Amino acid sequence: MATASAYRSPGFDFSNEIRNNFLSERGVPLPKATSTGTTIVGCLFKDGIVLGADTRATEGPIVADKNCEKIHFITDSIRCCGAGTAADTEFTTAMISSNMELHALSTGRKPRVVTAMTMLKQYLFRHQGQVGAALVLGGVDATGPHLFTIHPHGSTDKLPYVTMGSGSLAAMAVFEAGWRPNMERAEALDLVTTAVSAGIFNDLGSGSNVDACVITASHTEMLRNYVKPNERVQKERSYGFRRGTTAWKSESIRQMVVEEDITFIAPEAMDTS
Amino acid sequence: METIDISRLKSGEVNLGTSIMAVQFRDGVVVGADSRTTTGSYIANRVTDKLTHVHDRIYCCRSGSAADTQAIADYVHYYLQLYTQTHGERPPVHTAASVFERFCYENKDALSAGIIVAGWDKEAGPSVYNIPLGGGLFRQPWAIGGSGSTYVYGYCDATYRDGWGRDETVEFVKNTLALAMSRDGSSGGVIRMCVITEDSVERLFVPGNELPKFWEGKEVLGMPLTKKDGNEPVPMAVEP
Amino acid sequence: MSIMQYNGGSVIAMVGKDCVAIASDLRLGNQSLGISSNFEKIFAMTERTYVGLPGLATDVTTLHEQLRYRLNMYTIKEERTMEPETFIHLVSSTLYEKRWGPYFIEPVLAGMQKTPSGAFRPFVASTDLIGCINFAKDFVVAGTASEKLFGVAEGLWEPDLEPEDLFETISQTLLNAVDRDAYSGWGAVVHVITKDKVVKRTLKGRMD
Repeated sequence: MATASAYRSPGFDFSNEIRNNFLSERGVPLPKATSTGTTIVGCLFKDGIVLGADTRATEGPIVADKNCEKIHFITDSIRCCGAGTAADTEFTTAMISSNMELHALSTGRKPRVVTAMTMLKQYLFRHQGQVGAALVLGGVDATGPHLFTIHPHGSTDKLPYVTMGSGSLAAMAVFEAGWRPNMERAEALDLVTTAVSAGIFNDLGSGSNVDACVITASHTEMLRNYVKPNERVQKERSYGFRRGTTAWKSESIRQMVVEEDITFIAPEAMDTS
Repeated sequence: METIDISRLKSGEVNLGTSIMAVQFRDGVVVGADSRTTTGSYIANRVTDKLTHVHDRIYCCRSGSAADTQAIADYVHYYLQLYTQTHGERPPVHTAASVFERFCYENKDALSAGIIVAGWDKEAGPSVYNIPLGGGLFRQPWAIGGSGSTYVYGYCDATYRDGWGRDETVEFVKNTLALAMSRDGSSGGVIRMCVITEDSVERLFVPGNELPKFWEGKEVLGMPLTKKDGNEPVPMAVEP
Repeated sequence: MSIMQYNGGSVIAMVGKDCVAIASDLRLGNQSLGISSNFEKIFAMTERTYVGLPGLATDVTTLHEQLRYRLNMYTIKEERTMEPETFIHLVSSTLYEKRWGPYFIEPVLAGMQKTPSGAFRPFVASTDLIGCINFAKDFVVAGTASEKLFGVAEGLWEPDLEPEDLFETISQTLLNAVDRDAYSGWGAVVHVITKDKVVKRTLKGRMD
């Protein structure tokens, strides 16, 4: 037990390191964490940025989550797609989001995309690629629309159209063939959908649905499950079991209070004698 | 599909395979670079800008790990801004190069960065500094770097002359980089150049389809193995 | 062999109509040697929040104590019980804190979440060993038999099962999955949670 408080000091705790290093020295491999095999993309268009992502999370060869969210909130007009170690993308973006809010509060200005990019790259560089987050950062600020990729080691690229994750090659092929400067919103959204779909159908690490997010100077629109090309068909018959199928040995029931009526008793006059 | 080993993840580092170059001439320096960034065999960025501004008249060319060189360049950029504020004047190129050198030398075990620093200052005029992998610091009239540079050392030695003007130097840089890019698989894309003089910084751009062309081989398949032009050697006459 | 298989054990949680169920096997092993057939991996954290902790047994105990402590500190400070959705975030941050030396546990959570209107909504979620949350609308699984559980549950689960029907579905899913897993089994336990009661049953299963 680290501290006697419900609130803990921030940062990582290395207390299990010695034990786990001992184990891996003894030839016990460390288990795999959930990773998002992933296709994530972003592209610039006339009025802003469109981000796109698939919704599959994998644990080795197993699909751990069929409909997870990979477009993370940074600020109202900045969003970030994450690929790589799922927990790292989740916690890194959450931390940067909170630091961006604090930054906005202390400067009194709307935060800029480069600020988020710099915070992310410096954090990832500090951890020398150990924090396995590969990100696509996009947003619109006072200086216009911006789109970046951030690799796990902390290098960044600024480009008009980007892809990342295991499906990035499939998605990039679509962008290289179809992207043009100054596209309309609908065209850009279509292109992003096609690019993510290319990942979903051609890359094993990506799958399920397309999430999209359109960011313009005035408005951010999160299109959760914008396209669902892999809906499961209705089962033809029910596989429910007849009650009493399972044999059991013992039962204990714990009753709980659902509602309680509180009756206020009229206060007595204070005894002032 | 990618599985992440949580204990170690060092593969997939983003590299600047790179051909980079800087040459000084009478009034300034020309810096140039290709535009390819790779992760393994995949080109992560085909229009990278490896010519990084660190001060008004000082640029650096980056080669090696993208993450490392960006972090170093950001740090030096910050340091030189601070220098300008405290000294009230622009830093000399040597100062910038020394900051790069110190950073690269002190962290040599953790970094893979080969950097060329070039610029103009009022003390030395134009100057070029090379900071190779271990963190050395060498002033040179011209410097080349990155994986593509090995292919063009001979060309540079044979071609470079002292006392060139701007246009000749730009041609030299352009030709050298085109030759390096054509031989090195990790280099390619477009050529970006910067001409830094006392008065200005001028950016030049050569698209991938307008690169200078050199001998690119000719078709020899199906040609006769021997030529018949009447000059074939005749067997020597031997006395019976 | 992975450290996750050292002691064996599996957990599954499912959503029903105004109810949730969470079930696990009861085996504690030392690799292939069975040690105990009453090692419970499911713990009641609050009245309506149950958490299953399959993985390395030493960490099951440690993490349970750690969570209980932090939950109690919250309860004292906030003067209210913690809702399941809050609790999974507590689990998540507790695990991610040890990102560089994790607990070898993949928690599974089932509970009834209080809505603003005062009604209860079923809630299940799971995390990986470093705290990446998986919010599911149907079911979540973890442990040595997780691959089998995924397959069986994907086939048998259907929406809006009444508590008694959910009991049958989750029991059969667990029993049939662990029968094909060497490291799980030796009895099973099921908790069916509704707004007014929690029914806990120990199942008859193969003991080999």
